[in-house]
Amino acid sequence: MPQPKLISLATAVDRFTQNGVQYASGAALPIGSDAIVFGRELLRQGRNQLHAIFHCNSQQLNLLAGAGAVDKAECGFSGLEVFGFANGLRRAVETGVTQLEDYSNLAMAIRLLGGAMNWPFVPATVNIGSDIQYRSAFSPDEYPATSKIPMITDPFSGRQLGAFQSLRPEVAAIHVSMADPLGNAIMLGTEWSRFELSRAAKKVILVADEIVHTDCMRQFPNLVRIPDIVVDAVVYWPFAAWPQSSPGLYDVDENHMRSMNKALATDETTQQYLKDYVFSYQSHRDYLDMIGNKTREKITQTETSFLMDPYRKWILSADEIAKLVLEGER
Amino acid sequence: MNSHKLEYTRQEMMAIATGRELRDGELAIFGVGLSMLAGYFAQAHHAPNIRAMTEGGVYGAFPVGGLPWGIECNRISANATSFTNGVDALGFLVASGRCDVGIIGAAQVDMYGNVNTTGIWDGEIGDHYRTPKTRLTGAGGANDIACGAGRVLIMVAHEPKRFAEKVTYISSPGYLDGGNTRERYGFVGGGPSAIITTLGILRPNPETKEFQLDAYYPFSNIEEIKSNTGWELKVSPSVHVVPEPTEDELKALRKVDETGALRKQ
Repeated sequence: MPQPKLISLATAVDRFTQNGVQYASGAALPIGSDAIVFGRELLRQGRNQLHAIFHCNSQQLNLLAGAGAVDKAECGFSGLEVFGFANGLRRAVETGVTQLEDYSNLAMAIRLLGGAMNWPFVPATVNIGSDIQYRSAFSPDEYPATSKIPMITDPFSGRQLGAFQSLRPEVAAIHVSMADPLGNAIMLGTEWSRFELSRAAKKVILVADEIVHTDCMRQFPNLVRIPDIVVDAVVYWPFAAWPQSSPGLYDVDENHMRSMNKALATDETTQQYLKDYVFSYQSHRDYLDMIGNKTREKITQTETSFLMDPYRKWILSADEIAKLVLEGER
Repeated sequence: MNSHKLEYTRQEMMAIATGRELRDGELAIFGVGLSMLAGYFAQAHHAPNIRAMTEGGVYGAFPVGGLPWGIECNRISANATSFTNGVDALGFLVASGRCDVGIIGAAQVDMYGNVNTTGIWDGEIGDHYRTPKTRLTGAGGANDIACGAGRVLIMVAHEPKRFAEKVTYISSPGYLDGGNTRERYGFVGGGPSAIITTLGILRPNPETKEFQLDAYYPFSNIEEIKSNTGWELKVSPSVHVVPEPTEDELKALRKVDETGALRKQ
């Protein structure tokens, strides 16, 4: 029988990560679902020299890099969409703190697919012929780079293709809308590459906005794209993606998206941000207060809230979850 | 623009000119920001059966509440008929060759339609890769769209610094060195069919693939466009004026652009 896997956020970071870990975020692009709170906890526990595997940048990578905790990053899109350039990541790259290896979004997704399949590489006809292929931040002296995306020959047609090295991140923190205590998860909105990542990563931690009874998963088994058998731990943390959005639950907090990114533009203001929004809370209650009642009220008035309607009757209360966490940590 | 009957901005003209390039029924992929507004404008106006998607795999959706903050955001997730993933949208539907048309943006574009969205360097990068002076957003899905979509529309503000003879870093390939160089790589997609700017429309010469001026707007002129282009811009013999936005077009665009993102000057 599968066992409940609920543990606290602090325990998850303590148990599954260490300095220098190859850490992947399971996110839905730069302003959507992402376990941003896991990144905050990495900083609270002083983790550094991270090798970040982010299919796309998000405020999490922006924060981690801006705080100087990322040595290496591999990424597709590295901005913040309508919110502009990611100032923390940008500063870390421009000052040489973070080596950022560029790929495209499809390239990152198929590299995770390759990791999930345990293939050494995946062939494709993207990225070739551009400087994504010819320039390597990890091997800067190789130009044109031949080891980043080497060309291979299709043994059937003789056609030339790019070979993309598979990714098997040591640990992934994957944000999901809801999980049951065993680690079955439903994601609302685009999955982006969370499906592939959940099979590619060696350790998988789910960070869920809601915990639901397993009966919910039995009602909608086709929607459970991450089953418990690939999951190592489940963390319950409402508003885990804040200030980004979680479809069905809350919208982007536009004000904080901007103020956070502004703060990450300089080292001095980043230190202030860390003090105010990373080291400032002791409990989830504190975290919610930090976001503020008014803001939470505003962002939960989302046009997408009807997406949660089918699942509401299975949502577990905070007390029930707390009991399970106590058991899980025993 | 006081001499004209209708009041509209350059950005709105660019979005409408881009939207006019889309045909009903096409499978189309839109990036974030302006390209999304242009794409959904076409759907609201003349291409109701366009099969629109975003690279996250959001299908059947139409934006609510104004310019979506991102291609995955709640403003484009409130009425979707299917949510899938990146491998599906960018892989199964774009890299496979199924997608008819994509719209991408550019920080910098060159005479062969190569796009740079990765960084600004002081001079050439050189043989040793060095970090850019100004780091930009990277390629994102635009590289995949530039490689795989049947044709690509590039939207970009027309300023000299953005129109370089040769981009420092190719994030998303156009026609590379021109002529038939693109064909050598075996890309699935056909390359950029137009660069649509805040001043006019550039299209590639069928032989050399060099982009030349095809059309200007009622409020711009050939000289102005040439002086804002960082290479010796050739002018097509059939150069012409783009028709002004109609009332219906503006109405449709502003329905999508509810928060007026394109009306800010």
